Amino acid sequence: MSTPNGTSMNGATSLVKSLEAAGVDVMFGIPGGAILPAYDPIFDSSIRHILVRHEQGAGHAATGYAQVSGRAGVCIATSGPGATNLVTPLADAAMDSVPLVAITGQVPSAAIGTDAFQEADIRGITMPFTKHNYLVTDPAEIPRAIAEAFHIATTGRPGPVLVDIAKDALQKETVFNWPTSVSLKGYQPTLAPNAQSISDAAALITQSHRPVFYVGGGVIKANAAKELREIAELLGAPVVTTLMALGSFPYSHPLHMGMPGMHGSVAAVTALQKSDLLITLGARFDDRVTGKLSTFAVNAKVIHCDVDPAEIGKNRFADVPVVGDLKHTLIALIPALKAALAKNRPDLSTWLRQVNNLKSTYPLGYDKPTDGSVSPQYVIERIAKLSAPDSIYVAGVGQHQMWAAQFVPYEHPRTWLNSGGLGTMGYSVPAAMGAKVAAPDTTVWSIDGDGCFQMTNQELVTCALNNIPIKVAIINNESLGMVRQWQTLFYEGRYSNTNLDSKRVPDFPKLADAMGCVGLSCDRPEDVDKTIEKALSINDQPVVVDFRVHRDAMVWPMVAAGTSNDDIMIAREMAPDWDSQEL
Amino acid sequence: MSKHTLEVLVENSPGVLARVSGLFARRAYNIDALKVGPTENPAISKMEIDVNVEGHALEQVISQLDKLINVISIKEILPTNAKLAPTDTQPDYQN
Repeated sequence: MSTPNGTSMNGATSLVKSLEAAGVDVMFGIPGGAILPAYDPIFDSSIRHILVRHEQGAGHAATGYAQVSGRAGVCIATSGPGATNLVTPLADAAMDSVPLVAITGQVPSAAIGTDAFQEADIRGITMPFTKHNYLVTDPAEIPRAIAEAFHIATTGRPGPVLVDIAKDALQKETVFNWPTSVSLKGYQPTLAPNAQSISDAAALITQSHRPVFYVGGGVIKANAAKELREIAELLGAPVVTTLMALGSFPYSHPLHMGMPGMHGSVAAVTALQKSDLLITLGARFDDRVTGKLSTFAVNAKVIHCDVDPAEIGKNRFADVPVVGDLKHTLIALIPALKAALAKNRPDLSTWLRQVNNLKSTYPLGYDKPTDGSVSPQYVIERIAKLSAPDSIYVAGVGQHQMWAAQFVPYEHPRTWLNSGGLGTMGYSVPAAMGAKVAAPDTTVWSIDGDGCFQMTNQELVTCALNNIPIKVAIINNESLGMVRQWQTLFYEGRYSNTNLDSKRVPDFPKLADAMGCVGLSCDRPEDVDKTIEKALSINDQPVVVDFRVHRDAMVWPMVAAGTSNDDIMIAREMAPDWDSQEL
Repeated sequence: MSKHTLEVLVENSPGVLARVSGLFARRAYNIDALKVGPTENPAISKMEIDVNVEGHALEQVISQLDKLINVISIKEILPTNAKLAPTDTQPDYQN
């Protein structure tokens, strides 16, 4: 820290010095009236400020940055509409446990509560989906609030924290005083798991014959991929990785059964359903994974490891709860399990044969369109094939998101970003921007839909002007594709308001060109590879490719909302041939 | 459903009542009664919350409350004049 405590300065400078002291190297934001005093010291700061085109873009960019770097992402906005535009990214970050610090300006403290110009009670608005938030009216409180915000955002179960600062607190003179440590009476996250729980977990594992590692995004948050691999190989049990956990366990690993859930693989969904023990690591029994909860894995006992005690027993009873940081938990569980297995190693060979049989019988696949048009899955498959193995993929929400989850073989953590919990359309372009800022030497692909892209594409201007050369693949099926799929399946093909006509308007390559990007287009299967290669060859500008794909492609397998995982369909009106399986 | 009284010590900071009541509202927990008052320590306030919940839900209420940064401690108060039910055969739904 370069600024000594006790230095006199105004609140705005104290804010910027605090952000520097917290180790911030980049932030995304837009100035406005109430936050304006802060932008003056930002002008002189070592922190790189990236001027976005919409505050929502700032929030998702901070999320993309956080998800790739593992550090807190920072966004900054003014009061009123600036702050309310951060609501969606904050809710998104809360659902996906992303460490985010949002700074907002507030109207002067004397005006708070008077419906002043650009006043919005952003602290009140964001209470339900921030881990904590602050309204600061005293400039002396700024360093402590910032230090606490970073501490809360990045420890325990990560999450977003908002610090709202009244304009007069930024303007008044104060004395900078960065706290040497943060101590909060009501916040002491558990790091080390309880020793009894660890031995109970190890004992239960050795009594089980059909165990499955049910792995969630928490493993990535805890940087515990190495430990996960170690324990999975130690036990030799199948592993399923949820949408938020893709890359936490290598896709190519023989124990990997794929992704469970609504659009999961038959092997992953069935491994959970038929299991007698779910070894749950940083996952939360989300409805998209469990299907109808009362029919989910009915014969399984549950070991639930999570840093958040409120997740234990929220949706599913845990026979053995283990509260603690997952890295600590696995480091404790591995030797305990080793010792327990030395005395009693259950024979998992039948179970492994059964799940492997499902894996080989029901691989993910898709039908090629017969009319010569491009299949969306093929585009995504080829992008993954032709791009460097360490490339990062950032999806929007919908069919293209599920295909990007299914057809890119993620081998490493933090290479797959998406809006899993909130399902935020428009996440991809700004999150990819943030990802590229965190990993400037890595290829970053935004895999986006034509609907999603039209929500937040203005951040491509930010990318073009700030040397953030992301690549965007628009999977253009001229529809709100996932909604259309549900209309096909559940509303007799009545396509109410899902036709976007985006093969007519807008002209995506021209739009890209207008925003300072290279625009490409592809509508023939034989051109897919050379178009991707062209996009990969351009690294000094953002690239947007309009892949004009077949409109009726659907995402399979599918467990319809509210139904049991037992009713998984591999294609329309087609269930797996259970009679041919031993399960 | 069964009634429980929780004694919750919270930091005496602006918005803390909104945080607690908002949590109950958005997670669909019912508050039967709520009392907020000072403690000997001016930095700490005490809330007494009567909740009406089913089964495991009480643990969830407590765990979720405990996630609020301004919540310092939570304990369940058992009524001093409680008649101990001889067995657990007394149906809870009478409450």
